[in-house]
Amino acid sequence: MKRLKPFAYFEPATLAEASKILVGQGSGSYLLAGGTDLLVRMKRGEIRPSALINLKRIDGLSRIEPKVEKSLQIGALTTISALEQSSFVQSAYPVLAETAGLLGSLSIRNLATLGGNIARASPASDMAPALMVLRTRVSVDGPEGKREFPLESIFAGPGRTTLKVGEVITSFFVPKMAAHSGAAYLRLGRREGMDCALVGVAVLLNLSAKSGDVQEARIALASVAPVPIRARKAEEELLSGALTEERIQKVATAAAFDSLPVSDMRASSSYRKEMLKVLTFRAIEQARDLAEGGNNR
Amino acid sequence: MKVLIDLTVNGEAYQIEVEPQTTLLEFLRNQLHLTGTKEGCGLGDCGTCIVLVEGKPVNSCLMLAVDAKRRGVITIEGLEANGQLHPLQQSFLEKGAVQCGFCTPAMILSAKSLLDKNPRASEMEIKEALSGVLCRCGSYKKIIAAVLATAGGKEERNEI
Repeated sequence: MKRLKPFAYFEPATLAEASKILVGQGSGSYLLAGGTDLLVRMKRGEIRPSALINLKRIDGLSRIEPKVEKSLQIGALTTISALEQSSFVQSAYPVLAETAGLLGSLSIRNLATLGGNIARASPASDMAPALMVLRTRVSVDGPEGKREFPLESIFAGPGRTTLKVGEVITSFFVPKMAAHSGAAYLRLGRREGMDCALVGVAVLLNLSAKSGDVQEARIALASVAPVPIRARKAEEELLSGALTEERIQKVATAAAFDSLPVSDMRASSSYRKEMLKVLTFRAIEQARDLAEGGNNR
Repeated sequence: MKVLIDLTVNGEAYQIEVEPQTTLLEFLRNQLHLTGTKEGCGLGDCGTCIVLVEGKPVNSCLMLAVDAKRRGVITIEGLEANGQLHPLQQSFLEKGAVQCGFCTPAMILSAKSLLDKNPRASEMEIKEALSGVLCRCGSYKKIIAAVLATAGGKEERNEI
């Protein structure tokens, strides 16, 4: 059997307690949420935590709460399958429910949490780009109190976050999707399921009800940079005029300029760039169709 | 440092001490001697270790036993009732869906979780629900047929 090496174990009942233990135990301590990534890395010997701090005894961290004006608060310990299966998420933020359904297998999604997926800061996170185009903000709590900031500023590098010592992600806030907007996330893997993205592209478009022009555009990318990133040049290009096929092609090319993919055993850098163009093109078309459909899809 | 946990496994209540690094899989096999749950890859890829926690399939190799505290766990040993096999087990026998048998507990439990919610699941829904379990023998066709028969569907009833 693949066994885990012993570690000191804590089950704090409050965030303040968790934060205190995290500070006290030092750099060898890890927070345990779903465990689907943490335990794998421990079993492979990639990390050897001296302490695990299990967050699951803390109340109120796993709620999906509709807030005023159709906005949404998602507790950090919400499982990926809860997100996928929530009827509110499916109707108000279909891109989130659909992206959640792409992760791992159902039995993994029943364990894995949104907070864990983000805190892992994997460049290949599927959830991150989808959340980023939706203008998601993350709330953290720690020794110096609570703070809230845009999701994209949590990523410091592959596997590294900008969280300070003792800080714990508590929830994600997703503002309402505007009328006449649509969002899509497309991912390329070597196969359909149980694989991490070679390239992931999320696009959100908000079209003017009158002219059909792009009023707001957000593009976020997975697996083509050290962290999930916004494709800023591509976003600018998208806002610069009518949404013609030529324009979409230019945006796709700009997205490739925004990216900085690695070559690894999964795919070469140049292949990722080419596929990024294809996926960006298709994701824009999908987001446009959904926005024109007018039902927030 | 051991942790005292209380949980139910196959309807039976336990209060038992576990080491924090014990996975639910190790706990079930080594402490409760319920060896129907198998370890394949041990890394969450193959799904062979799937058990139901609160009715939902999870990879027991990636869940700590301490996280089963106050929860209900169902393993393959818990499906037989009053000396009668569960309809899914019976159907697997009748359809010859068991080849080497290593993935069978996970296949049956994943199917049970689906059919408990959706007793008339379609072939596509069945395939989706079983997609987290690898069968190295490649018996998928008969496995799907066995679940479909339990769901009241006919073989090749609908879309492939």
